[in-house]
Amino acid sequence: MARLKVHQDKIDDPEALVAVCPFGSMSVKDGNVVIDDSCRMCLNCVNTGPKGAVEFIVEKKKKPLKKERWQGVAVYVAQVDGEIHPVTYELIGKAKELAGKLHQPVYALLIGSQVQAAAKELQHYGIDKIFVYDDPKLARFAIEPYTAVFERFIKQNKPNSILVGATTVGRQLAPRVAARMRTGLTADTTILDMDAKSTDLSQIRPAFGGNIIAHIVTPNNRPQMATVRYKVMDAAPRQEEISGEIVEKKINEKKLVSNEKIIDIIPKPAEQSIESADVLVAAGRGVKSKAELDQLKELANLLGGQLAGTRPLVENGWIDVRQQIGLSGRTVRPKLIICVGISGAIQFIAGMDNADNIVAINNDPKATIFKSAHYCLVGDQSDIIPQLIADIKARKGE
Amino acid sequence: MPGSSEVKVDPDTGLLIRDGDNVKMNPYDLFALETALRLKKEKGGEITVLSMGPQAAKAVIEEAFAMGADHGALLSDRRFGGADVLATSYALSQGIKALGDFDLILCGKQTTDGDTAQVGPEISEYLEIPAVANVTKIREVTDETMTVEMDMPNQLEVVEVAFPCLLTVEKDIYQPRLPSYVLKKATADRKIPIYSLDDMDDQDENNYGLSGSPTQVKKIFPPETNTTQTMLEGTAEEQAKKLTTTLADLKLI
Amino acid sequence: MAYKTFTKEDYTAILDLINDNDRVLYQDAIQEEYGHDELGGTESLPDVVVLAASTADVSKVMTYAYENNIPVTARGAGTGLVGACVPIEHGILIDISKMDQILELDEDNLTLTVQPGVLLMTIGDYTAEHDLFFPPDPGEKSATIAGNIATNAGGMRAVKYGVTRDFVRELEVVLPTGKVVTFGGKVVKNSSGLDLKDLIIGSEGILGIITKAVLKLLPAPKKVISLLVPFPTLRQAIDTVPEIVRSENVPIAIEFMEQDVILDAEEYLGKKFPDHSADAYLLLRFDGNTDEEVEKAYQPVADLCLKQGAVDVFISDTQEREDSIWKARSAFLEAIKGSTTDMDELDTVVPRSKVNEMVAYFPEVSKEQGIRIKSFGHAGDGNLHAYMLKDDLSEAEFQKRMTKTMELVYEKAHNLGGLVSGEHGIGYAKKRYLKETMDPVNLELMRGIKKTFDPKNILNPNKVFDV
Repeated sequence: MARLKVHQDKIDDPEALVAVCPFGSMSVKDGNVVIDDSCRMCLNCVNTGPKGAVEFIVEKKKKPLKKERWQGVAVYVAQVDGEIHPVTYELIGKAKELAGKLHQPVYALLIGSQVQAAAKELQHYGIDKIFVYDDPKLARFAIEPYTAVFERFIKQNKPNSILVGATTVGRQLAPRVAARMRTGLTADTTILDMDAKSTDLSQIRPAFGGNIIAHIVTPNNRPQMATVRYKVMDAAPRQEEISGEIVEKKINEKKLVSNEKIIDIIPKPAEQSIESADVLVAAGRGVKSKAELDQLKELANLLGGQLAGTRPLVENGWIDVRQQIGLSGRTVRPKLIICVGISGAIQFIAGMDNADNIVAINNDPKATIFKSAHYCLVGDQSDIIPQLIADIKARKGE
Repeated sequence: MPGSSEVKVDPDTGLLIRDGDNVKMNPYDLFALETALRLKKEKGGEITVLSMGPQAAKAVIEEAFAMGADHGALLSDRRFGGADVLATSYALSQGIKALGDFDLILCGKQTTDGDTAQVGPEISEYLEIPAVANVTKIREVTDETMTVEMDMPNQLEVVEVAFPCLLTVEKDIYQPRLPSYVLKKATADRKIPIYSLDDMDDQDENNYGLSGSPTQVKKIFPPETNTTQTMLEGTAEEQAKKLTTTLADLKLI
Repeated sequence: MAYKTFTKEDYTAILDLINDNDRVLYQDAIQEEYGHDELGGTESLPDVVVLAASTADVSKVMTYAYENNIPVTARGAGTGLVGACVPIEHGILIDISKMDQILELDEDNLTLTVQPGVLLMTIGDYTAEHDLFFPPDPGEKSATIAGNIATNAGGMRAVKYGVTRDFVRELEVVLPTGKVVTFGGKVVKNSSGLDLKDLIIGSEGILGIITKAVLKLLPAPKKVISLLVPFPTLRQAIDTVPEIVRSENVPIAIEFMEQDVILDAEEYLGKKFPDHSADAYLLLRFDGNTDEEVEKAYQPVADLCLKQGAVDVFISDTQEREDSIWKARSAFLEAIKGSTTDMDELDTVVPRSKVNEMVAYFPEVSKEQGIRIKSFGHAGDGNLHAYMLKDDLSEAEFQKRMTKTMELVYEKAHNLGGLVSGEHGIGYAKKRYLKETMDPVNLELMRGIKKTFDPKNILNPNKVFDV
């Protein structure tokens, strides 16, 4: 059992120590600093409070974990109908790096039905063992049978760490498996590293809407589990030659019982709202013709995003009022917004300045939009945009 | 978990500034409660709201009463403190067991502080019931099952799930109602039982709080903010090339 | 009066005064929005636009205009609704929106000194950081402070706090002659002669150009909560307003809204309002320093609403809830605009005791004249906004019906003891209605004042009244 002990004699200014707690879990009672049950054990008081004032005490568990029994880094293969989600290759890239530090193997866990082709494809990515659980009952994701298979894989192979893509399925399956294994799971990690000596996985993730970053470890439990979002890690390159062993596994039918039935799979209506788009191409007054606007639409499609714009474009009827960004329109927070021909009135800026990446293209070097942009292109959009479209197409191999 | 999505960070210390006396329901949980209220209106039944936290979290349950919930309970015990996702889920699942039988457990998508979206699935494991996450729509409810739409990246899966089960609902499944002054007055005296470790079926302290938490926070620190500005200069061709490379580096292509 | 025709030489002379190519726009460089305001309708382009950077810029240009008999119009963010910033006689347009610096926060005197182009939202954010606030709260947060002062804007907190006039201590003004003067002072009391500062407030840019303002601030209330009160009928909702106004705990805002406007706003924002089941709503807002204080203030009012037949009283007590209500409230104008082809607006104000009569009149006149009218507004201060919608009417038919409707509504307001404009101003669009409803003696006094300030009638001519 681990706990915090407050050494009152080492505290000169109780209020100052209390102020250190980001969760408001400390208070002064009868002159003593006490910690209440809202404590999150962030250890900020230990690390930044007066030296020795708060002690972190870890009492050894009765049965120490035999960490050396847990070997290898496993990746859960996200697939739907045999089609592998690209986050999988990114996780394989990271798993190889982590396993390399431990000189341990990399595993892939592939669950589904008729996934032989997918298994063969995985052989191009330098994985040591690809465990395949192929059964008609596993054709579509259902929480109970998938968890049962996952559990069996872990018990038989005892991996040190497991990486799962933070897909819709991964975000349900990973916690269920973690709970079954009574182990830790860190969601949406952005940085992963392996400590070769302790074999502990360093997991770094943003919390509180990205307002703080937490460094998390799972020192006393195995396997160590983490989910990672798509497009965070670098993908492992595909190799021409084949390597690794495909291990076909069977599982007892009784384990595959599900209380869920997939009745139908329906295509999702195309995402229309600019608020939920990851990528936006926003057009402003500088966009002078319908033809230019169509180009921007093409650019938006190419980036998997949507077209948006400023108020004047709504007023002349080129875009719908639902596509208007700004104080009198909608507030957006995409990963990327490319502002084309937008001067940067405060009304517009206030609607988009929380975007992760802001690109501004404008022929006026003094345009206010450049003050808010991360990437600035001073120039004529009618020259830049067609080039950009061609370049992106070339890069995407179209 | 109480919390509001309004979180401020002190720019000098990097520490969170929290409004200590302002305990409000996690905004994501409002969607779960609204779903429950609509199901109740259509199919009957009773709604119990369960929360874990300090005594002040009673306010969250009172808020749920003012929205139309029937019962509430608070898990509060010093020994639950310092819990990570696993220990939190375990305590909540024990709390649910202590409350008695149920047909359906509804959870919000995530909390605003940790936003891990793991508590729902982990509770369902401890209760050994089926669970569906990312629910965007409830299609049909019968005596034994309910049919819901699960939001997948490129499609919607229509899933029929048997009771008892757990659903994690998406934001905006329904617009949450506002608390009612009439209900607030009518429920002002309603009792909220407090459950401690002593009320649980499993009373082993090692499964709760910090001792029951496999993950440990080694440290927290403020993020580096992206305030740099890059000029992409040159001819239109060069600018386009530079931007394409930048977008590719950012994994946006 | 004949003004000098603006020539290339005038442009060169003004460019010489400003000495910055980018801040003097001529001919093709003049964007079309300089020819109209937010609502449109009144349209006329200037000959030249000067983006002023300082009081000296304004003074220099004004002096040149005075000497050469060229008309001048001042413009802020262009968010007006009655054409007050439209240069009807062309000439020079002075855009003050680049003069957007906050100059001083005086925490001892609780005043904020600002340049004229500072936006209302900037003042809101800045004061909030210092736990202070500037109470006037018009819906249009991207308006400039000078524009707010020039119209004596009111907004949603007027019930408890009053209007812009109540929060201006001192003004620096460039007169039509180009002379720079200061009216008022950082003082709380003032019996030093005629209050020229108060003459400038609400003068819509016809007496002088505001180049600096000292605003009065208050300590910010720590807690704000809103009550959304559904009523079975609009009548019941409106009839409750005088009761609330009479009660001991006055809300900071009392707004009324009808279901169809809420539905328009939902459509416009793509977001659901927390409740749209009732025909009509009152929206009340209370502030105070603690939860208990605010709760104590709103309870009797909530009980009163229930007694008057309210279906329920919903409590909005978090940022998310406040946003879901007030964002929709702020979008009403845009939402109504989006629901039709064209529209014009009314900003009439009546004594608070007559609000119900005025509100009841809208559907009546709408039916009678065959024109769709949507209304919402500040029930608590008698300021009602009504919008006449063109829909499928031909332009000629719309103009005809709208003009008739306006006449009738203003006549009704006048009979109830009301006035033409509560907060949007007269500008160009509402001139004839002011003339029709105002005592000629009052207008004659206004003309005299205008003549004293602006003997050549070069500053924002053709606005508010004819000289």
